[in-house]
Amino acid sequence: MSEPAPSEDLDDLYENAPCGYLSLAPDGRIVKINRTLTGWLGTAADSLLGQPIHILLSFGGRIAWETHLAPLLRLQGTVQELALDLLHADGSRIPVIANAAERRGADGGHLFTRLTLFRAVDRRAYERALVEARDKAEALAKGQHETSVLREQFIAVLGHDLRNPIAALAAGVRMLNERETLSARGQLIAREMDAAIGRASALIEDVLDFARGRLGDGLGLARDSKAPLGPVLEQVVDEMRAIAPGREILTRLSLDRPVDCDRARIAQLASNLLGNAVTYGDPDRPILVEAATEAGSFILSVINGGVPIPPAARAHLFQPFFRGAVRQSQQGLGLGLFIVSEIARAHGGTMEVASTDEQTRFTFTMPLAPA
Amino acid sequence: MIFSHGFGCDQNMWTIVARAFERDFRVILFDHVGAGRSDLTAYDPQKYASLDGYADDVIEIGRALGLRDAVFVGHSVSAMIGALASLRAPDMISHLVMVGPSPCYVDEGGYVGGFSRAQVDELLEFLADNHLGWSAAMAPAIMGNPDRPELGAALANSFCATDPEIARQFARATFFSDNRADLPRIRARTLVLQCREDIIAPECVGEYVHAQIKGSDYVLLDATGHCPNLSAPEEVTAAIRAFV
Repeated sequence: MSEPAPSEDLDDLYENAPCGYLSLAPDGRIVKINRTLTGWLGTAADSLLGQPIHILLSFGGRIAWETHLAPLLRLQGTVQELALDLLHADGSRIPVIANAAERRGADGGHLFTRLTLFRAVDRRAYERALVEARDKAEALAKGQHETSVLREQFIAVLGHDLRNPIAALAAGVRMLNERETLSARGQLIAREMDAAIGRASALIEDVLDFARGRLGDGLGLARDSKAPLGPVLEQVVDEMRAIAPGREILTRLSLDRPVDCDRARIAQLASNLLGNAVTYGDPDRPILVEAATEAGSFILSVINGGVPIPPAARAHLFQPFFRGAVRQSQQGLGLGLFIVSEIARAHGGTMEVASTDEQTRFTFTMPLAPA
Repeated sequence: MIFSHGFGCDQNMWTIVARAFERDFRVILFDHVGAGRSDLTAYDPQKYASLDGYADDVIEIGRALGLRDAVFVGHSVSAMIGALASLRAPDMISHLVMVGPSPCYVDEGGYVGGFSRAQVDELLEFLADNHLGWSAAMAPAIMGNPDRPELGAALANSFCATDPEIARQFARATFFSDNRADLPRIRARTLVLQCREDIIAPECVGEYVHAQIKGSDYVLLDATGHCPNLSAPEEVTAAIRAFV
């Protein structure tokens, strides 16, 4: 036989509950307080009864009580999770969390305001630490944001300022070629200068596109759904054939629906993909450019043979400044595919890559008209 | 009749008293910028660093509504905000009702405001600490209050929600204000309503305000504490009615 369970003593539960109990008259005077709370305060109940609640509160707590908490209690009848500091008899502070509720009689008259209080020393310390950490993180994020805005503005301004001297150089070389009589050696140098200027211009355009893409507003588009896209793609291929005369580039275009796109940007996308195919593909195998409109989408693929792209590298292909580790001899900033993906994104489209021993295929898909 | 709330709450403070005047007056209630359901994006720390910014808003509201000879009822710090507005727009405000006013909370020389500078600093520190309790996002959920039908639909909203940072700046503007020099210049008919045992605005401060405003009326209410508009709305209503 086990002992009968001890019955709970309600008076003892009130006095020695594991929380503080405090009852106030409607005018804010203390009418009842439990032993747990007087123990925390280091004061006898006798000296507190009849006193206003203010004598338990820190100064800030008194003002908050009068201006905010007491009105809130009147309006709502209850207030939860107040953070208050109680004053110990020795002047030290005891952080507490309190819930308060008005007790009203049958006639609606205000009888008491009851408070339940819990010590919250650790919680308060934790909250302060949280606020400090948040403030620090906000300051840090603000600093980083400012730095990144400045950095990208710097890139954009630099790109713009570089264009002018490059244009002057290009014009100068053209004049030398067209109007001056150059030796065979001079002509060779002028051609190489012209090619170098072309590469420099392309790099600057890439940096500008990168800055635009990352400045937040993305690439702006000048969409045109009426003009045919086929000739645009044919021209991109012709230009590449001129640059890489030894390479075989095939096209298979089947564009029977209008495509609402920025034609200059799609040409840039196709040109970047084709340039990569020329650079990285097996020179003995043809490159295929496929474009079609089907099932509400425009699909453009550039396919080449050669060593497949390792799976680990595929995940990073479209990130800025990524260059395949396949060969170190290639030029460029590693912005080509990043810009391709930005152009795709601006059109509401996607870029995909599939690479096997058979072939490497980059595929751009976009809706024929914006959603 | 414009009712203006004080530091720590919002226009809900005036709901019960204002209703008593709806029949005889055009009643206007508003939240100061930063309090209640005001547009927090309108808060400008510079403008609201002193009570003048709040007084400008009162005048702007009055102009927008075309008010002339209005009764301005201001609780706590709004009593001084109304006084400043009445000095700048005397045609707009003909009567001032000051509930628990204080022209200067900090003791200075022979003047007793009831607060020391260190105590006000402690209050600001308290507000910084208590940011969770004051946060609009943390405003306590209201469970409904069927035994207080007079508050009606207002219960659907959260009361006295205040952005914690704005509360701290409003506290600074309030408790470091000193408008004693403005009191003798007040020309509006003025009623001072003073509570007993008010730790924010003690009786000696109410008497000081009464003495400084020529021809003002002074009523010492039976109500205790700082918010008689909530704790004793009938007494406040009766005193205002006798005055207007």
